[in-house]
Amino acid sequence: MDMSNHPLLSSMDEPPPFPPSHPHLRRLDRSVVCQICKEPFQAPVSIGCGHSFCSSCIRSSLDVMKKCPSCNEPALEGQIRRNRALEEITDSWEESRPIIYELAQPPPTKKRRASIQESNSKPSSSSGTKRLKPNSSREGSGSRSQSPIKSRRSDDGDHNSLNGNGEMEDEEDDEVQELTENDEAPCPICQATLPISSIPLHIEKGCPPPKTKTNGNGVGGRKGNQKADWKKVFSGQGLGGKSKDKEVEMKRITKPNYSLATPADLRSILSEYSLPTTGDKPTLIARVQEWIILFNSNLDTSHRSSLSALRAKLSDSENSKKRDKEKGKDEMVNQLGSKDGLQKYAKEKKGEFERLRKEIIERDRKRREQEEGKGRGRDNAIEVE
Amino acid sequence: MSTAAKRRLIRDFKRLASDPPIGISGSPNPDNIMIWNAVIFGPPDTPFEDGSFRLTLTFSDSYPNKPPTVRFVSKMFHPNIYANGELCLDILQNRWSPAYDVAAILTSVQSLLNDPNPASPANVDAAQLFKENLKEYERRVKQTVEQSWLDNPDDIEIDEPSTSNTAQAVTA
Repeated sequence: MDMSNHPLLSSMDEPPPFPPSHPHLRRLDRSVVCQICKEPFQAPVSIGCGHSFCSSCIRSSLDVMKKCPSCNEPALEGQIRRNRALEEITDSWEESRPIIYELAQPPPTKKRRASIQESNSKPSSSSGTKRLKPNSSREGSGSRSQSPIKSRRSDDGDHNSLNGNGEMEDEEDDEVQELTENDEAPCPICQATLPISSIPLHIEKGCPPPKTKTNGNGVGGRKGNQKADWKKVFSGQGLGGKSKDKEVEMKRITKPNYSLATPADLRSILSEYSLPTTGDKPTLIARVQEWIILFNSNLDTSHRSSLSALRAKLSDSENSKKRDKEKGKDEMVNQLGSKDGLQKYAKEKKGEFERLRKEIIERDRKRREQEEGKGRGRDNAIEVE
Repeated sequence: MSTAAKRRLIRDFKRLASDPPIGISGSPNPDNIMIWNAVIFGPPDTPFEDGSFRLTLTFSDSYPNKPPTVRFVSKMFHPNIYANGELCLDILQNRWSPAYDVAAILTSVQSLLNDPNPASPANVDAAQLFKENLKEYERRVKQTVEQSWLDNPDDIEIDEPSTSNTAQAVTA
């Protein structure tokens, strides 16, 4: 099919599926996938009816409708419980999938399989029931690679080593410091968050507090400040001018009543977590809502992200929406709402629709050919009957 | 791709490309992944057979928590499809679930074609004919099927350059 060269299709790496000769392995693959995001569970939780989803997926779904996406039974956020067993299963399946994939291949690849098994056997046998952090172990075993959002990078290149550098993780309660998308990390001595490249110099100088490029009065209500605010957030300063990571309580945030909350209420929540407080009320609500989902679902996993990584995610998605707006993409969508706009669009995209039509014809032709080749014997049998 | 909606849409596209339902194809607009173009063939052994109907799907940042808006670009004659192409389908409204993906939506729309629900009509004429005069209903449907061919100018069977305007002129 000529859709295969579409640029979007190559943008997401996916492990090859198991061959149809192994339906049970395909089923296993499906069973560790969240029905909302269609990706392997991240921080899986269960709700009242017993169905499980990624914590952030079901939290944002329940913000919109109070029912289970799988069975339609009424569901409430208060029913959300961490599903530790499912997280363990998902992680270990992701780790062992490449090995099992090799085992499921036809005989000629046996030799390769043996060597892969050997190289993987060390970490898994010595780790016992304890879990590796997914970044090191997943990459080390060549397992499913995720997008920047979900993948976590290790600050250590040695993928198979278990010692030192905090690769082992026993309890979920200690805060895990990981790299953000911006390649920042806490200074090992004073814990201030800095770009990695500047850490050695920073230590040499005796850990001076990191400098901000902008001046300190950031909590204004002007829209233009947003960018500067995010910058400050990432420089580890917080909007109050000092690092607040240590003061943030790792406790679930209770949702405010958005219709009653004043912009000031929302700003105070945001500044408690050192987030930008700029924008009008809808912007503030959207930011608080998204932050609460990120923050609360981060408490439902053993692979916790650092607060700065969570802030990076929030800023990332806010920026992406903003960029779309600037590019007029939202307008493009609105245009289709009117009959004229729709017809105009259809005329512009005529070639695209024609391609899609031909694709179906081509596909049906191939399917018919295959079925005729396969099904002739069976058809005859039915006719005889 | 930095929002959950976009990630999910890429995933939907992969699924649709690797395992396409019979008589259905679709892909995101190259300039804007929130807009998809799709073509649905009328199900065989129904009055819609041989029709190739064009539609657009528009998604918001809340997808998959909120359903997309689905609109037929091709002119339709169906009890649950409004004159402006929008359709009245429960799974795109109050029975939406974030577990649905684009392949599931397009399959539902395809099966809606021959399984209309005249109880909640979007096109009163179509609903009435469907209930009271099935023969005439089918004749009108077949008209739209023929119009759907006119949307494809380089089709061998009909060599008449056409726009959606001429297609509308045929109905009138």
